Amino acid sequence: MKKISRYMRLYRIFAVQYMKTVMQSKVDFFIGLGGFLISQAAGLAFLYLVFQQIPTMKEWTLEQLLFIYGFAQIPRGIDHLLTDNLWMVGWQMVIQGTFDKYMLRPMNLFFQIVCEKIQFDAVGELLIGILFVGRAVAKGVVQVTPLKVLFFFISMIAGSVIYTSVKLVLASIAFWVKDSSPIMTTAYDVADFAKYPVEIYAKPIQIVLMTILPFAFVAYIPSTYFLIDANILKTIAAECGIAVIFWLFSYHLFKKGLTIYESAGS
Amino acid sequence: MSENVIELSNVRKEFVTTKHDPGWRGAVKGLFTREKVTKVAVDDVSLAIQKGEIVGYIGSNGAGKSTTIKMMSGILTPTSGTCMVNGLEPYRNRKKNAKNIGVVFGQRTQLWWDLPLSETYTVLKEIYDVSDEDYKERMNFFEDVLGLQEFIHSTVRTLSLGQRMRADLAAALLHNPKVLFLDEPTIGLDVVVKDKIRQAIREINGKYDTTVLLTTHDLNDIEQLCRRIIIIDAGKKIYDSTLNQLKKDHGYRCSILFEWKELPDSEKLERLRNLSEKAVFEGQERGGKVTFNKNELSVAEVIAGVMRILEVKDIQIKETELTDIVKNIYQNRAEA
Repeated sequence: MKKISRYMRLYRIFAVQYMKTVMQSKVDFFIGLGGFLISQAAGLAFLYLVFQQIPTMKEWTLEQLLFIYGFAQIPRGIDHLLTDNLWMVGWQMVIQGTFDKYMLRPMNLFFQIVCEKIQFDAVGELLIGILFVGRAVAKGVVQVTPLKVLFFFISMIAGSVIYTSVKLVLASIAFWVKDSSPIMTTAYDVADFAKYPVEIYAKPIQIVLMTILPFAFVAYIPSTYFLIDANILKTIAAECGIAVIFWLFSYHLFKKGLTIYESAGS
Repeated sequence: MSENVIELSNVRKEFVTTKHDPGWRGAVKGLFTREKVTKVAVDDVSLAIQKGEIVGYIGSNGAGKSTTIKMMSGILTPTSGTCMVNGLEPYRNRKKNAKNIGVVFGQRTQLWWDLPLSETYTVLKEIYDVSDEDYKERMNFFEDVLGLQEFIHSTVRTLSLGQRMRADLAAALLHNPKVLFLDEPTIGLDVVVKDKIRQAIREINGKYDTTVLLTTHDLNDIEQLCRRIIIIDAGKKIYDSTLNQLKKDHGYRCSILFEWKELPDSEKLERLRNLSEKAVFEGQERGGKVTFNKNELSVAEVIAGVMRILEVKDIQIKETELTDIVKNIYQNRAEA
């Protein structure tokens, strides 16, 4: 318990430090946020355009698709907001040896990396996500029951964990190959598929989304169960299971990578 | 004083890299065949350092100094052998070890780059759980010795190299570590800043009995701080002894320069040449130089001998400098 409260306090301190850095470059912050809102708007415009041509997509109505879209944005946004600095592991820290400084401090390494940055660009994703889920509720696309609300929150957390785990696996690959950012970028492009129904894709892509990069479990699969009232419990349990397995695997890989970390000459 | 704070036994560190042939052909070839090359950075090094010692760890570029320090600070895991710091294996108990050590890498800063320097210390205070009282006392101390107050409110990235290095040293010492590793702490600094850094190291060592291991290419650092030096070359430890012993072993050559009051005639010159069979005399424009081995002749004997022959205006004694000794050791290694 003492450990947790210490880390909570440290997180607050790091967050405050990070805010101070951000304040020093306000323009940067607004450009980041603005860029994100534009890319979100483009994504939505695309969806509307498609629906002007085809009234339904694999049995899903526009309203339902917007729910799926919004649902998918929230865990992605949470992960993006809190653990964006993992990118730096794959991109720079290992190859340049800047990882050294974390290893000299008496704190958990994953925590140190993650707490160094809060990615406010993610506010765009979270905003869209919450807006669309709220809209679906208001329009009666999904029914609200206390159990569903509970499952919704569990699903959001499990989904974020899946996102983070996949990112950690890919970042950790850098310990072996030095620069894993190309792989990370590719995986992130794949994650974009998660905001549309999986059935619209070819079989191989569907398989990838449900196994190696299980982004289907982050959004589409759980969200559909909110729409059609099937067996939610099973789906959520599967999502949580995947989250736990992926997290354990990714953290193990990260730890393993640390033992072969080579630093860089100086 | 017999407690070993640092103990390395048969430590070896290998890096495996793939060989790349030059040019386009090489790059394409590299895609298909991978030839693994093992490079031994540290080869069977054993050493022990006691509490309160300041030890100079020297060697040419790429000799394995930084690699050794990185193993002692928990960044790298040795390929074989064990490394103990304060009774812990750093790479196995990274977090615990981190509380016991302070590290400065001269080439690289650990400060928060985009924030005022003072913020770094407030964060470090929390990370290392330093009490308010200790924090205040140590900050006062750093301000005195390292002169931090001039730039404590500047953003780290705007600091000059000398300021940054002083700030880094203070950051490494804030939690009062038992062991301090300094990897080229004076690299690229001017004389005044070098002096401040050395003074801080000396004072910390005197005040808290902190054990210090420092690597450097500036042998003045060694001469002013260390009583003991360890020399490493191509990953192997080639020398480990006190500075005095090193000078005794390798610094036996001494020369004395004389300036004559009046020029000697040929008879006197002849007598000077035959001063002793253990000394070599060379005549110079207005004086002469006598070179001899200190183990065989004493400085006093030589001076007395010369002054019996003719009157002397000025005398200059030239001991072999540490730089020469070290250069000799490196070169002998390279030729062997």
